[in-house]
Amino acid sequence: MLSANAMERRLQFAGILLMLGLLVEALCLTFGRGAVGFLIFAGVGGFSLLLGISYYLLALVRSGSGGH
Amino acid sequence: MATPYALIVLFIVFSIVLVSIFVFRPGITATRGGKIMAFLVLFALPLLCFGLGGATEMEHSKSTKFCLSCHIMEPYGQSLRVDDPMHLAAAHFQNHRVLPGEACYTCHTNYAMFGGMKAKFGGLKHIYVYYLTTPPAPQDIKLYEPFNNRECLHCHAGARSFEEGAVHTADPDLLPAIKANKHSCLSSGCHETVHDVKTLKEQKFWKGAG
Repeated sequence: MLSANAMERRLQFAGILLMLGLLVEALCLTFGRGAVGFLIFAGVGGFSLLLGISYYLLALVRSGSGGH
Repeated sequence: MATPYALIVLFIVFSIVLVSIFVFRPGITATRGGKIMAFLVLFALPLLCFGLGGATEMEHSKSTKFCLSCHIMEPYGQSLRVDDPMHLAAAHFQNHRVLPGEACYTCHTNYAMFGGMKAKFGGLKHIYVYYLTTPPAPQDIKLYEPFNNRECLHCHAGARSFEEGAVHTADPDLLPAIKANKHSCLSSGCHETVHDVKTLKEQKFWKGAG
């Protein structure tokens, strides 16, 4: 499933992290209405999104520096 | 599920679908349009989702229902329905001096700069104490710091019943002392009964308007 191209593979990995984070957020908003739900939303969901976005930006920087 | 929640969840699901396109077909980023789309979907959209969801969660965390979702807080929820006007929290809740849906937050937030954030960090401390240490019995729960008159004055300052109240004006030094937080509203013997959870079994309860 993962692409042979390094840049595309990084994008796929970032996308997987983002999908995971967004899924956690959607589940927390739907079912987790207490303090624990709030913590999972901010902690697990937020952290996955942060990782995914960082990985995507890092992929952009690497592809930019690799191109020159 | 309330409508705003449903809309935000739908938006998040839509975002997941868009992100999945880049996971399964990463080759579309080869074109200029694909790169712009990838930036929007892999950067802007997740941030927007987190912002929308976070704002909704923050708003929900102000609700009385949220505060009372922890078992240890149940007696405090019951104390809001004590049928005795001398019980400060009950009188405020039952007479809508605070919004019933945000009764806890209205009095227990901090009406200073970044007070809302400070209140939320206090909430995180509650969760730490509740889940990772041995929590005290409900009747032994204490505030982290003495209740500041500022929280009362946020609503009562300027109100006729407060500024011209017979007890408040009997001593000319009293009102300035209250406003300077030198004379506590709660612990100076004036409005001392707030959440008397120790005597709940002996109390009568108001069943509510509905």
